[in-house]
Amino acid sequence: MSAPAAPSAPHVGAGASTRAERTIEAARVLRRQENRRRAFYLALSIATPIVLVLLWELCSRTEILDSRFFPPPSEIAATAVGMAGDGELWTHTWPTLMRLLIGGGLGAICGVAVGLLMGTFRPLNAAFGPLFAALYPLPKIAIFPILLMIFGPTELPKMIAVFITTFFVMQISTVAGVRAIDSKLLEAGAAYGARGLDRFRFVVLPGSLPFIFSGLRTATGTAVVVVTAVEFTGASTTGLGYLIWNSWQLFMPEKMYVGLVVIGLIGAVLTWLLGGFEKLVLPWRR
Amino acid sequence: MSAADPLPPPRTTPDGTAPDGTVAAAVEARDVSKVFFAGGGEPVWALEDFSLSLEEGSFTCIVGPSGCGKSTFLRILGGLEERTSGEIRTSAQSHAIPSAFVFQEHGVFPWMTVRDNVAFGLRMSGVGAAERSRIADDWLERVRLGSFGASYPHQLSGGMRQRVAIARAFATGSPVLLMDEPLGALDAQTRMLMQEELIALWEAERKTVLMVTHDIDEAILLGDSVIVMSGRPGTLREDITVPFPRPRSFDVERSAEFSALRGRIWDLLREDQPAARSAA
Repeated sequence: MSAPAAPSAPHVGAGASTRAERTIEAARVLRRQENRRRAFYLALSIATPIVLVLLWELCSRTEILDSRFFPPPSEIAATAVGMAGDGELWTHTWPTLMRLLIGGGLGAICGVAVGLLMGTFRPLNAAFGPLFAALYPLPKIAIFPILLMIFGPTELPKMIAVFITTFFVMQISTVAGVRAIDSKLLEAGAAYGARGLDRFRFVVLPGSLPFIFSGLRTATGTAVVVVTAVEFTGASTTGLGYLIWNSWQLFMPEKMYVGLVVIGLIGAVLTWLLGGFEKLVLPWRR
Repeated sequence: MSAADPLPPPRTTPDGTAPDGTVAAAVEARDVSKVFFAGGGEPVWALEDFSLSLEEGSFTCIVGPSGCGKSTFLRILGGLEERTSGEIRTSAQSHAIPSAFVFQEHGVFPWMTVRDNVAFGLRMSGVGAAERSRIADDWLERVRLGSFGASYPHQLSGGMRQRVAIARAFATGSPVLLMDEPLGALDAQTRMLMQEELIALWEAERKTVLMVTHDIDEAILLGDSVIVMSGRPGTLREDITVPFPRPRSFDVERSAEFSALRGRIWDLLREDQPAARSAA
């Protein structure tokens, strides 16, 4: 710390004599430790799944695992490459993606809009709050036959099923988000003249965005479940859900796993994109 | 604020000082009362027949036992709370934001950069982008946050955040500033530094300021007058003129006069202690 160094330790920091040099040296040591630790954790997070897949491969090939139910990952990969080559994979991935993006996207937009309005205008909340709260726990899949009855076995009922799912999740998250805004901030908005649309744009919407994004993450997961379930039903002859279901009936486990992996990837990529978007839109969150 | 009647235009220049040296009342409150009905219990009269007149360009501090309705009064003036009865007149009705509010804590928007926070009032009153960013940057310089314009509030310390809140209020150009314990959440040292800064800012601007505080020293140090309120229901107990000349510094705190004044206010508050205890 201070200039007069302890006489018993004259060679401490002998290579770096000035304060500035010692600071740089200390920072370098600290950074090296930090980098090493980070590299180790990264390696660990990559190695674990690889080891598990290798283990699966090994157990399947040695018939420790029943290869009829757990075909070796290498065979699943080979099947995937074949399906991608002849276009079969794409004919199932594309409809699922569309149902998710159109149904879920519109559901999210409407859910957020309705949630913002309900969170702000009390009469609207009084009118629809209890109704939506009662409808929310209703399993959306249970409505699907009714939708089929009304719209027939077209794309529309599938998209509507996804739409309803995301709508309710987003409406509830958004209302909760508006409620969670610190009353001091609403008052600050009012005190500085934010009224009507300005209040929405500068106070209510940004204030509820954290809840909206956590709602979007939940909604993505639920929407993937619902789209798969809807495609399981006989009303669908396309989609990854159909691929999985049909492969079960034909007993083609490799194809089943391919469908499973792809739908898992879709969920993961959507969640990852949302995370990136959140960072972009909410730079003020730590 | 909408219910307040405009006074005849004051004979003042835009910066708040009267050309002939006389001062007009910037805010006048007469017999303001407020009753709360909370949770089905007894109705609580937070304020009863409270009257106050603020001179143009004066700095007034309100002290009083907790729960005496001092914050309620401030919020009524700022249009954040409706009064049950009474009259309020402000001379600045024509201004887009007749009075700018400074909250104790959490009053700056976490989702806006420091610059956008300071410019917020201007933006709401329709000032163009170039003009408001010029004014905001000017105020950021004046509260020594010049290099933090692009930062977000969470990156700042508590004291810096309050400087943002104060700059935001001044930047509106509003002739009346209402401060609800603006330094109340700060640690003692930061608080003293901020008091000094606030004195300097105000002495340069001479806005009409009404500040609620629970710190007697702060009230004497900053105020031209100190309003002492009685416990619930809040009524005016005494209006004390602070004799120290401007510009002021902490030196006044060492004078015997300061101690005497502090003692007098403290005695007034202590007489109200039974009321304060029951309210606490």
